[in-house]
Amino acid sequence: MSLSRLFEPESIAVIGASADEGKIGYAAMDNIRSFDGRVYPVNPSTGELFGHRCYDAIDEVDDRVDLALSCVPRQVTPAVVEECGEADVGGVVVYAAGFSEHTEEGSELEAEIVATAREHDLAVLGPNTSGFINANDGVIASFVSDTDAVPAGNVAVVAQSGGINHVLMFMAENNRVGISKAIGLGNAADTDFAEVITYLDADDDTESILLHVEGTDDARALLETCRGVETPVSIYKVGREDVTDFAASHTGSMVGDYQLYEAGCAQYGVPMVDSCQELLDVGNAFASLPEPDGSNVALVTGQAGPGIAITDRLKRAGTTLPSLSERTCETIDDILPGLTYTSNPVDTGQPPDPAAYETLLGAIAEDEAVDILLVYQLYEERVEYPVDILEGLVEDTGVPAVFATTGPSDAVDDAVERFHSAGIPAFQSPERGAEAVNALATYAEMKTDSPTVTTAGSER
Amino acid sequence: MSGGTDHENAGSADVLTEADAKSLLSEAGVPVPDFELVSSPEEAVDVADSIGYPVVVKVSSPAVQHKSEWGDGVGVHLGLSNAEAVRDAAEAIQEAADDRELEVDILVEAAVDTDEGVETIVGGTQTQAFGPTVVFGLGGTFTEVLEDVTHRLAPIGTDEAGQMTEEIQGAELLEGFRGSPQTDREAIASTIATVSDLVADEEWIAEIEINPLLATETGVVALDALVVRADDD
Repeated sequence: MSLSRLFEPESIAVIGASADEGKIGYAAMDNIRSFDGRVYPVNPSTGELFGHRCYDAIDEVDDRVDLALSCVPRQVTPAVVEECGEADVGGVVVYAAGFSEHTEEGSELEAEIVATAREHDLAVLGPNTSGFINANDGVIASFVSDTDAVPAGNVAVVAQSGGINHVLMFMAENNRVGISKAIGLGNAADTDFAEVITYLDADDDTESILLHVEGTDDARALLETCRGVETPVSIYKVGREDVTDFAASHTGSMVGDYQLYEAGCAQYGVPMVDSCQELLDVGNAFASLPEPDGSNVALVTGQAGPGIAITDRLKRAGTTLPSLSERTCETIDDILPGLTYTSNPVDTGQPPDPAAYETLLGAIAEDEAVDILLVYQLYEERVEYPVDILEGLVEDTGVPAVFATTGPSDAVDDAVERFHSAGIPAFQSPERGAEAVNALATYAEMKTDSPTVTTAGSER
Repeated sequence: MSGGTDHENAGSADVLTEADAKSLLSEAGVPVPDFELVSSPEEAVDVADSIGYPVVVKVSSPAVQHKSEWGDGVGVHLGLSNAEAVRDAAEAIQEAADDRELEVDILVEAAVDTDEGVETIVGGTQTQAFGPTVVFGLGGTFTEVLEDVTHRLAPIGTDEAGQMTEEIQGAELLEGFRGSPQTDREAIASTIATVSDLVADEEWIAEIEINPLLATETGVVALDALVVRADDD
């Protein structure tokens, strides 16, 4: 089933649209004001809404409706989905909760919705979701306010929880990271991770996919999907519950869902992170940079302490800092005073003048042993940030470069903005830079190695 | 640990006897001590004579999961060094079985000196979300208290299994730490890979656990094994 009509609609109906500010049907109408396609509020007891004629039912709309936002309570949801199916709607977002996450009765209603969706080739998102946004097309199919400030870009978010979906959206806005689509799956009764990942992989606006996962019935298939697509996919797994309902053996009772995600991500080469911040940082790095050819990292730091903190993080994740070639070392020696550390990591002390700095960074990026460049530099008023240098270097060498810095908000916020405009991910702490680079390295290894697990013989 | 309760809850029909579990492992290439199942004290002595002393004598029945706690502690007899001791042990098992109106076999097995190696644990579990998985760790308190174990989705090869032996926190203990024996890591890795293949290929297996797998300088041996059948559905 294609998800394009769901996520890239040209026309939207809001079912249960309302003039009552406390209602989801109002929030949904309010949020799609940024959408410049056709809008059809549906509610038999309301007249005009937000300047649009209000319809009694979806089948009265004399247009092909791509997306319907279902703002009705759960009991009437199956009927609404049925009407949408008959009206040849492309996709429905079901905001209502109280389905399979709640009671047996809810599970039955949900099953009804899924059966209807399949029958009519209708894509249902949810239930129990806050919806999605498509920032490039101005589609805010969510009932949460103020997401119109989320910058458009090429990082896609797929969250199992609608709440985390919005956490990531707002953090993207805070961190100036552009979002293509941010999708909350909710109960994922119909539209699931694998389908959405496959859709986003083919989406021209998306260069990097971020997953927030609480738990899925078929985690192995999810990992296989992540590995199989062209677009880098990274995972933030939350929750450490057991996966075996019952185990007779000691080891069986020790099998935890989180440990298996860790093992499985490592085996399939899918970068796995430990916070929303890391997830967003990794997404930013993948979306901005060319894919690395390998996993060997060169670190250039202006200060020893942060450099050690970064090296520690890199090594903990098993990332390699290779020795640089003799020629590169000679170039570094020529530029830097004798006191600094000219192996990898390279400690420059206060960075040299821009021309020398460019020569130095260029020599390192061009070194055969180096696949990824990470530069850290504490803020110093008199020292210019190497925005243009790194931009040119990535362009010339194809080696991805990540920048990290720390300093007063005024100066650094502005610098981060400039780096991002130049396509260089920039992070405001040593560790964040390190973790982004770790993900790039993990992904590069995945691209060059075969998985260490053979295809599942697990269908039971 | 909830392990004990779990054992008792396991439906007996779903669990293989230790002898069947060890035969399965042995056929798959995992070394096990020489053993034989007998049904009388006389046969137990004959078998012990042919295996050579010391031996271990244990109760064997699908109805008995906690062998060492069964029959007021007469289910397991370690380090028996002569015929008389074997006969006494076998008789005690038979009496306890008669008291409980149970048909049991008696397992006679070559005793292994656990001081010659390091006790490890290898398990395989079918899971809903990930399918077959495999786990490795150090045995005894390391497993129970520290949960110093490492997991993989199965099946895996011996290289990946070898990685597992290196990444547990107690990895040094496999390297002859402070007088503990140096262990044969290749043999451990090969056992992990075998268990991972079994749980991945044999759909009737829900769980498999070798606890302990004694790792010595020259190889490994499965001292106890548990195999749980999957529900038929």
